[in-house]
Amino acid sequence: MKIVVGIKQVPETTNVKINEKTKNIDRRGLGGVINSYDLHALQAALAIRNQVGGEVITLSMGPDDFAVSLQETLALGADKAVLLSDRAFAGADTLATAYVLSEAIKKVGQVDLVLVGQQSVDADTGQVGPIIAEMLKVPQVTYADKIDAFKDHLVIDRKLENMEQTITAKLPILLTATDKANRPKYTNVVEIAKSFDKPIITWHAGDLDLDEKRVGQAGSPTIVRSISEPQKVAKKNHRLSNDPATAARELVDILKQKNILTEDK
Amino acid sequence: MTAIEENWIFAENDLDEINPVTFQLITKMNQISHDPVVVILIEKNAANLEKVLSAYGPDKIITIKDDALATGDDLEITDALANLIEKKGTPNTLIFPATVAGRSIAPRLQARLQTGLTADCLDLHFEGNLLIQTKPSYGDNIMCEITIPECRPQMVTARPNVFSSEKKINPNLEIETVSNIQWKKDDQLQIKSRVLLAQKAKDIKQAKHVVAIGRGSKTAKDIEGAVSLAKKLNASLGVTRPLTDLDTFTIADQIGQSGQTIAPDLLINLGISGAVQYTSGISNAKIVVSINTDKNAQIFKHSDYFFVGNAQEFAKSLEAIL
Ligand SMILES: Cc1cc2nc3c(=O)[nH]c(=O)nc-3n(C[C@H](O)[C@H](O)[C@H](O)COP(=O)(O)OP(=O)(O)OC[C@H]3O[C@@H](n4cnc5c(N)ncnc54)[C@H](O)[C@@H]3O)c2cc1C
Ligand SMILES: Nc1ncnc2c1ncn2[C@@H]1O[C@H](COP(=O)(O)O)[C@@H](O)[C@H]1O
Repeated sequence: MKIVVGIKQVPETTNVKINEKTKNIDRRGLGGVINSYDLHALQAALAIRNQVGGEVITLSMGPDDFAVSLQETLALGADKAVLLSDRAFAGADTLATAYVLSEAIKKVGQVDLVLVGQQSVDADTGQVGPIIAEMLKVPQVTYADKIDAFKDHLVIDRKLENMEQTITAKLPILLTATDKANRPKYTNVVEIAKSFDKPIITWHAGDLDLDEKRVGQAGSPTIVRSISEPQKVAKKNHRLSNDPATAARELVDILKQKNILTEDK
Repeated sequence: MTAIEENWIFAENDLDEINPVTFQLITKMNQISHDPVVVILIEKNAANLEKVLSAYGPDKIITIKDDALATGDDLEITDALANLIEKKGTPNTLIFPATVAGRSIAPRLQARLQTGLTADCLDLHFEGNLLIQTKPSYGDNIMCEITIPECRPQMVTARPNVFSSEKKINPNLEIETVSNIQWKKDDQLQIKSRVLLAQKAKDIKQAKHVVAIGRGSKTAKDIEGAVSLAKKLNASLGVTRPLTDLDTFTIADQIGQSGQTIAPDLLINLGISGAVQYTSGISNAKIVVSINTDKNAQIFKHSDYFFVGNAQEFAKSLEAIL
């Protein structure tokens, strides 16, 4: 099975603040890590390869320093990696990002399975996967909690708000993985050292068959007008007494006063 | 394609039941929109879910009655919605609930229509025809205002339970059933769906009272205590993410960024640290009470009342006097 896994590098913490001067997100001193859900997607891909054979190719669109994350995917067991890097790709929203990724997947060719994370922890959209599926004209199963591989099909468990599903899926297909899908492994220096024998290929805009109006900022219908930090409603922060029985009594009195608990209860 | 000055809402139909987030979206759009609010419903031939939707006063309901499509996969529903838009014209906006289904279908349709989509909105308003979309990112640490100036429809998914729903009678309500919607059968997927009955009974999203437990309340005995307190309070039981590793709990029970946003009148947190991914799901709770052994626990900042000490002891004392 030929499997492509989408890998996004994200800031190491989502606990970010806005810089008062630039009015933009302060990324100073923030390192990059692989989006946590993508590690689950990669782990799923490696497990499928081990079960039925094949090849795992990791794919990332981003600046050149995303290569560090791709190197890590090779150390974790991917067979090869492709970095899509070009000035023209900058400022892309999910539509323009997925467009470039889907064209790269077409160029890789003969791909049976595309795996991405359920969402990226910085953008929090979860859109890139389904958009790629649509552009590749293949079906999708999102939020996959469990994936079992067979020679020519997959069996997937997923949950929606009020139901659960078991899906038998023929290939080719795109899946998005939740963090329930598996437990990602960690890599180590030895594996990283060995991984330098495996290739990271870089493709620029010119290497792909792209409509330039559909990439980067030009190909992005959404515009971010402004960003801010969420306003928090101040909470009372009243500390109850140290003795549990007294504290419980205090709380019940307060809740009755506020009509949250009714007197007769 | 012709543009039409209408705002469309995709009704989430989960195995013949409308997900209540749909009512919330109708109410919100009724409040902010000058143009007709139109609900798009896909249902089985024998169903009549128009009736429950009518109670929230949209201007129009467009129904596609089709047994196979009512249980269709994302690709099939995308086909059908794209075909509906081809027939009816391009609405000004198209809103989906930010549920698993909504977050899966909307981006596919977005790609088909080559327009913009903003995920998981927490607020919406109009400036003329332009929909101003407030979306969280970085795990709810940052809010972004996003617009889609050039393309139509302006698509968003909106988070459940952020808007309230209100019943409303619309005397001019129009109901239209469209036939001959074309969509291609997808032979690649075979889906078996089961309703999660147990969860429906104790849906934390609708509950007025919620008892939530975290890693500081996770032994079988702790859980038993929390269940019994919840019963006394007529509350639903919610959990933090680590507890969904237990077989007893799933994502439907999980509160927070990657779980459910809740809006109860009373929330009692037992042994929860207060990570932002959790607290982002409780910001609409009215009264928050938290119990934690750590006097510096983050959760206290998000609480109206707090008790520093053992959660099980407190729960027991509380239950005893209720
Ligand atoms: C992308 C992403 C999304 C996430 N989404 C969610 C989400 O939706 N929901 C969610 O909950 N988490 C989410 N998380 C995880 C989140 O970051 C935290 O790890 C989680 O909320 C912590 O759960 P907790 O408070 O139960 O556990 P802990 O952080 O381990 O806290 C346990 C607390 O219990 C207290 N305690 C221990 N014993 C007792 C006792 N006997 N009595 C009283 N107090 C006691 C401790 O002092 C501690 O404060 C997400 C993380 C990521 C990266
Ligand atoms: N720039 C990118 N390069 C490679 N994969 C990506 C990129 N952006 C998003 N993805 C994949 O798409 C998933 C969903 O991302 P998002 O839609 O941004 O939440 C991620 O988990 C990745 O697997």
